[in-house]
Amino acid sequence: MEKEKHIYSLRLKLAPLTKMNEFGVFISLFFTVVLFSLLSKEFLTLKTWGGILTISSEVGIIAVGAAFLMISGEFDLSVSSVFAVSGMTMAMLVTSGVDATLAFLIALLVSAGIGALNGFITLRFAIPSFITTLGMMMFLRGLLLATTGGFPVKIAGDYPILDILAGRILGDLRLHAVWFVTIAAIFHIILTLTPYGNWTYATGGQADTARALGVSANKVKFINFVLSATLAGLAGCIALARFRIVEPTAGIGLELEAIAASVIGGCSLRGGIGSIAGAAAGALIVGMIRVGLVLAGAPPYWYSGFIGVILIGAAIIYKMTRGKHIRW
Amino acid sequence: MVAEKEPLMKLVKIYKRFGPVVALNNVDFEVYPGECVGLVGDNGAGKSTLAKIMIGYYQPDRGEIYFEGRKVRFKSPKDARQLGIEMVYQDLALLDTMNIWRNFFLGKELVKSVGPFKILDKNTMKKLSADFLREIGIRVRSVDETVGVLSGGERQSIAIARTVYFGAKLLILDEPTTALSFKEAEQVLKYINDLKKKGLGIVVISHNIYHVYEVADRFTILDKGVKVADYLYKKDVEPQDIIDIIVKKKFS
Repeated sequence: MEKEKHIYSLRLKLAPLTKMNEFGVFISLFFTVVLFSLLSKEFLTLKTWGGILTISSEVGIIAVGAAFLMISGEFDLSVSSVFAVSGMTMAMLVTSGVDATLAFLIALLVSAGIGALNGFITLRFAIPSFITTLGMMMFLRGLLLATTGGFPVKIAGDYPILDILAGRILGDLRLHAVWFVTIAAIFHIILTLTPYGNWTYATGGQADTARALGVSANKVKFINFVLSATLAGLAGCIALARFRIVEPTAGIGLELEAIAASVIGGCSLRGGIGSIAGAAAGALIVGMIRVGLVLAGAPPYWYSGFIGVILIGAAIIYKMTRGKHIRW
Repeated sequence: MVAEKEPLMKLVKIYKRFGPVVALNNVDFEVYPGECVGLVGDNGAGKSTLAKIMIGYYQPDRGEIYFEGRKVRFKSPKDARQLGIEMVYQDLALLDTMNIWRNFFLGKELVKSVGPFKILDKNTMKKLSADFLREIGIRVRSVDETVGVLSGGERQSIAIARTVYFGAKLLILDEPTTALSFKEAEQVLKYINDLKKKGLGIVVISHNIYHVYEVADRFTILDKGVKVADYLYKKDVEPQDIIDIIVKKKFS
């Protein structure tokens, strides 16, 4: 009896926690950290975490945009191709003698343009964005392979913009980890603390209702398409800055990793629910698994298997804690 | 007694067609402040089209619209909303995935300055929405509650309250009680009556006379885009009389 009472009061105290958007990702983070620190003594060291943060950053920056768009009710599968197009644009411009900083800005602009095209096609013709961006993903990949003949493009020489994008800070920690955390923080604030964030949630919750209540739902979606592609483009340039080479096949599979990170972080596939901090933490889990498996001496083939387990586990936790009335 | 006052909104000879279909054929319509008009008709009678013209969603092909005595032209719902004309839809009342205060201030968020940035003034919005709902007698546990957990009646009431808070003078309600239980419908009807006393003009649209008979003061009946009866005051007609008019017209 006494014990039951205790459990009940504990549940009451925990209730606000389980209601949080990010509850599932907390559990997943905890589970992953415990597991890998048991498997490897080196896992809980500063050096390892510098590496984890750095590895998480590329998929993390993409996941921030993907989650933002997902919360407004749309998908972007083309981010993986935009990632490569952006890096390739920058690399080709630099090798043909264009100033590297200018090349970077042009690459971002091209990415934003692709996002605008995704948004325009999806909204103008009322096509599911899954289809539009799947088509865009395939089209861009074909374009990349055709224009490069399948060969990678290298850049030689040092340019300050490359150091700004992904310079080494300390050990394995690179500057783009800072960009990732900054971007995640900024978009988390936009989503939770500004009117635009409110409209984004409303648009994804039910676009027609949002419209009836006075929100320009299509405008919100369009802006978020541009945002998602621009962040993917930024990630592509960061990858180029890190490796100084870009393959026409770069980024394949990143779109699903970004969506997995968003869902682990609490985003609903139907829109209207989700969190940027959660998606960023989801991306961190992806990085932890990658680094943790190497440290544990496990074959890296287990990587996607692990993410799959975490993804499904997180989804079940969200379903259980959010209750029946919240569609998920 | 209402006839002495000026109509809140007056539509004159409204004509609207969609391709070959004449949705509204020279329809006149008035609603006075403090009055609730039941706009009744079968499916396809033109009720929704008329309502959407009143809120600026559609523009009439011909005809004139007067609001508070002045001639107006609405290019979009935004124009109508600025004058205080609001519509609450049956199934598009509020967003289930968001909490009450976020719904309440959606599109009209209050912000405060933090340095050069403007961020949501959450505390003020929570307080204002909670105070207003309490003041007009809508009880909710907390404005932080997700709308998805509320009953249909609570949702309708909050959606209506929201428009009133932002200065609605004319309220158009689309089937406000159709999806509600008897008890919930009672609550919403009582609430609509309170608003009438405050001087709002209210138009209630329904294809079911029994759903509007309780709350409306008089009835306007549309059939296939034509007004077949108007100024039927509740004291003079029974629901069955109105059904008879609709049915007779249909088979005549």
